[in-house]
Amino acid sequence: MSVAAAGRNEMRRLRVRRFMRHRLAVASGIVLLILVAAALAAPLVERLMGVDIRDVDLGHILKGPSLAHPLGTDELGRDMLVKLLYGGRISLLVALAAALVSAVIGTLIGLFAGYYRGRLDAFLMRFTDGVISLPILPLLIVLAAIDLRKVGLPQSLVQSEDISLYRIIFIIGLVGWTGVARLVRGATLSMKEREFVRAAQALGARNRRVMFVHILPNIVSPIIVATTLSVGGIILFESTLSFLGLGIQPPIPSWGNMLSNSQEQMTTAPQLMIWPGVMIFITVIAFNFLGDGLQDALDPRAISD
Amino acid sequence: MTAFLVRRAIQAAVVLLVMSFVIYGLIGLMPGDPIDIMIASDPKLTPADAARLKALYGLDLPIWERYVNWLSSAVGGDFGYSRTHNRPVLEIMGPHLLRTLILMGISFALSVAIAIPLGVWAAARPYSFRDYSVNLFSFAGRSVPPFWLALLLIFVFAVWLGWFPAGGMETVGDGSLADRGWYMVLPIVTLTLLNISGFTRYVRAETITTMRQDYIRTARAKGVSSRGVLTRHALRNALIPVVTIIALDFGTVFSGALITETVFAYPGMGKLIFDAVMTNDYNLALIGLLFATLVTLVANLGADLAYVGLDPRIKLQ
Amino acid sequence: MTLRLTLVSIALFLGLAPVTDQAAADSHRSLTIGITQFPATMNPMIESMLAKSYILAMVFRPVVTYDQRWKLVCMLCVRLPSVKNGDAEVVELPGGKKGMRITWQIREGVRWGDGAPVTVKDVQFAWKIGRHPKSGVANREPYVRTVAIERVDDRTFVQVIDKVRFDYQLLVPDPMPAHMEEKAFREPAEYKHRTLYDRDFAHPGLYNGPYRVANIVSGSHVELVRNQNWWGREPYFNRIIVRAIGNSAALEANLQAGGIDYAAGELGLTPRQALGLKARTRDKYTFIFKAGLIYEHADFNLDNPILKDRRVRRAMAYGLDRKQMSQALFRNLQPVADTAVSPLDPYAEKDVRRYPYDPRKAAALLDAAGWKLGDDGWRRDAKGNRLTLSLMTTADNRTRSLVSEIMQAYWRRIGIDVRLKLQPPRIFFGRTVTRRIYPGLAMYAWISAPGSTPRSSLHSSMVPNPANGWGGQNYPGFRNKEVDGLIESIETELIPAKRRVLWKRLQQIYADELPVLPLYFRANAYVIPRWLKGIRPTGHLAPSTLWIEEWHAVDDQAKAN
Repeated sequence: MSVAAAGRNEMRRLRVRRFMRHRLAVASGIVLLILVAAALAAPLVERLMGVDIRDVDLGHILKGPSLAHPLGTDELGRDMLVKLLYGGRISLLVALAAALVSAVIGTLIGLFAGYYRGRLDAFLMRFTDGVISLPILPLLIVLAAIDLRKVGLPQSLVQSEDISLYRIIFIIGLVGWTGVARLVRGATLSMKEREFVRAAQALGARNRRVMFVHILPNIVSPIIVATTLSVGGIILFESTLSFLGLGIQPPIPSWGNMLSNSQEQMTTAPQLMIWPGVMIFITVIAFNFLGDGLQDALDPRAISD
Repeated sequence: MTAFLVRRAIQAAVVLLVMSFVIYGLIGLMPGDPIDIMIASDPKLTPADAARLKALYGLDLPIWERYVNWLSSAVGGDFGYSRTHNRPVLEIMGPHLLRTLILMGISFALSVAIAIPLGVWAAARPYSFRDYSVNLFSFAGRSVPPFWLALLLIFVFAVWLGWFPAGGMETVGDGSLADRGWYMVLPIVTLTLLNISGFTRYVRAETITTMRQDYIRTARAKGVSSRGVLTRHALRNALIPVVTIIALDFGTVFSGALITETVFAYPGMGKLIFDAVMTNDYNLALIGLLFATLVTLVANLGADLAYVGLDPRIKLQ
Repeated sequence: MTLRLTLVSIALFLGLAPVTDQAAADSHRSLTIGITQFPATMNPMIESMLAKSYILAMVFRPVVTYDQRWKLVCMLCVRLPSVKNGDAEVVELPGGKKGMRITWQIREGVRWGDGAPVTVKDVQFAWKIGRHPKSGVANREPYVRTVAIERVDDRTFVQVIDKVRFDYQLLVPDPMPAHMEEKAFREPAEYKHRTLYDRDFAHPGLYNGPYRVANIVSGSHVELVRNQNWWGREPYFNRIIVRAIGNSAALEANLQAGGIDYAAGELGLTPRQALGLKARTRDKYTFIFKAGLIYEHADFNLDNPILKDRRVRRAMAYGLDRKQMSQALFRNLQPVADTAVSPLDPYAEKDVRRYPYDPRKAAALLDAAGWKLGDDGWRRDAKGNRLTLSLMTTADNRTRSLVSEIMQAYWRRIGIDVRLKLQPPRIFFGRTVTRRIYPGLAMYAWISAPGSTPRSSLHSSMVPNPANGWGGQNYPGFRNKEVDGLIESIETELIPAKRRVLWKRLQQIYADELPVLPLYFRANAYVIPRWLKGIRPTGHLAPSTLWIEEWHAVDDQAKAN
């Protein structure tokens, strides 16, 4: 084993130890794993419980918890537990996918801005400013109305109910990258002054190589941290969009639309609002703790967020 | 420094110009202009009525032509009339802007005033029970959907306990300072709970980082008490990046207020802009959104300046 | 300008503006009403918005209105003109066309809030505004149809219209205060910016109702005080405050917390909210659920080859348990609709084809139409194409989205694969239905006036297309010669008995052909505090506030508690 490899292993062990020290983060990680597993198992649970989430049972609406329905039924007599699991699938999928899209876009823009500096930097950063202040509302409405067949998407996709899902992911990804871009730019700026980067440049490495081989691996920690922390924010944002009537639409359940659709029944059937609210709360706080723990482990000096 | 500011001012002007174009275009692209909706809701309107109304509000011109018209009069200081309110844009915006600034200003000040001592207090003993509690509290605040929190507060403090009004801006006919303050308690609490958590986290993280710096160790070695180190040395240095973050956050002031204003029926800017966009009230939506952009730009500039102040290695250029 | 404005705003905000003594003295005998919308303008002629007509009804009275029994009654006039009483007659107009002359008389003593009498001049002024293409009036038809308003004396005039029509009594312009507004109208194109209703709204001379506007705080509330020159029955309340609370959960909270006394039935809590409230607070409120003219329905796009087949449309009607739906969602308070005509309408016909829930009949019809049930539970045609349809509706309405989910589930049971698509209302109404680009079904509601003819929604000339400038509301694309003829006859037939026969046939064809799937008539929920009496819902477009002077508290004590 080479000295370098030993060092790397040592580093990894140190990081794991630092992460494990953050007990809330460890607990959060476990909670999230359980949540993801439960969400993935939704169709299985549905079959095991012998319920059909797409059918209604108007004779049994808003029933309390029972053996057949551990969390009771919703306003159309559907099983609340299964619906909650399906909602989690959607909310987690949207949040993770959108966070990933944002991270990729943000990293690229930040890297280029920080590395090349000068005019490109000024342009990209003002562009970022612009996107930060971009009014998301009209954007959402415009995108909700675009005829996707004209954009060249296949008919089967356009007709599917899932399309509202992809729209949300696309929109959040499109405007959510600014934080990562700023972060990566800052990190690239300071990384560029480091000796090993200068050495690589002096040895004639091409810019692209320097950026992606020498700089990027060294700033990946803050990116991971920021992305993890952003997942929670996206889940909240999705619920806010539902509140404004621009989120994911029924019949696809998401925690966000389950929560906002229950406000009218807030006092009559509080369980409709409590369950998705609690799920959102637990998930978001878990992602935040996880991000916090990762930060401690990977990047103890960085400013969070 | 002056050169830097001038350049940033020019850049800001360019961003505003581009944004005005983008916003105008976006609103124009939104399907279903209000006249079409009016037609759909009133079976008595004829196609001739629709054409006449569109011409009356200038909606029949191509969008770029409308934009150029708007731009030329806007540059001359005439921001036009709000289509829905039939009144000059600035006249409509003034009171709404003021209400939001007061609401957001107070909740911002309150959040900072609570977050700084809380964050420093937590940072004094990292990874202690105290630190975990503060962490838990601050994470909780940023883990609830804003409208849920607002509705929850209304139901607990207005409906069940009856301590505060459930919404609005004043008791009509009273409108005294105390009365208005009374109505603002719940919205301010909502916004503060949402803001405080982020700020506390920054303050804590910054303080911990600063405490690890050499000069702090030196101060300690010199025998300065740990409280003295914390308040005199660490806090001051930790505050600069915190100010940066807060300045950046202030850019979202209007969008941040939308949900709170909606649930509490508080007639502020967030709601005004939202409604203007939804009803294609071009002049009002444009000026509102551009104003929000301007606030963001100014906040970013402030953040950059603070950043330079923090780190002498980075120069203005 | 901006600076001064800001200073004024600061002064207002800090409460430095003087509080009127009257306001303080009148703190009891005041009523706070919550509504979900804020009116954009108070000008009676520009823009028609429910929130505006709700508030306006308390300060500005129309010449005629439909009352609670859906009868046309006079508010400003002495008596309703009719052919029978001789006040209306069919005449030959210059040029040979047939028209009508209608004689109106304004009631004695009707005056504006500044004491000026309401005269024929005010009616002529309103007509002048309404006719002008640049005044910003949305619906010019009644004004353009009027070819002359001849003054007989200060209170009497003859209105000449250019066509014989059954609804001739509805075309009369409501008087506008000429002595106030004439100056603002000097430049008609600028009228909408200069009208005193927005510029100087607190001027008493603008109003002729029991109240007048004292203050408007945009986005927040409108404050009304008594009109000292009110000429009718004295109202009970000294002051009325209308507060706008857009979020319905917050509106409910405000009602319970006492921020508002009453949530307007026309623009307030949803029936489902009210049902919940009723279950929890039995004694605090009186609940009135008034079903009326808001007709919820799903249009079939008849250009879709699947839906062109009447058997499929009928199968879908039989396959949906509308009764159970109404029971589960609204405890039967929203009656199932058989046609577009409300059962409360005098011309409603009972003898029409009905579609009770009958999944076997639905299956038989689908089989007959060539859609056979497959092993996977979906129906397919001979070529193996699955029976797939889309159902589009608005995303803002929770009840509607629940209904759409129920429809989807029921139709799935008979093998029809229905995909839901919910859109923001502006897209749905601004494009999807108006341009007829919904491929399958579109669910929404119509609001109409009692007895109005379905010309715009059923006449074949009213199918929106580029040639007619996308005008008309015949969104299904329904084309039926007999219906066209019936509509034309109904519009010109003045004898009620003959009209009834025509209406009956029209409703029968509607139910037979089923261009539209009728769902239910929406109910407005009036949640009224026990101490508040006198509110009588109308069930149509005329708001209950037209009779605000009948509203009263049982006694002041009750309200204080």
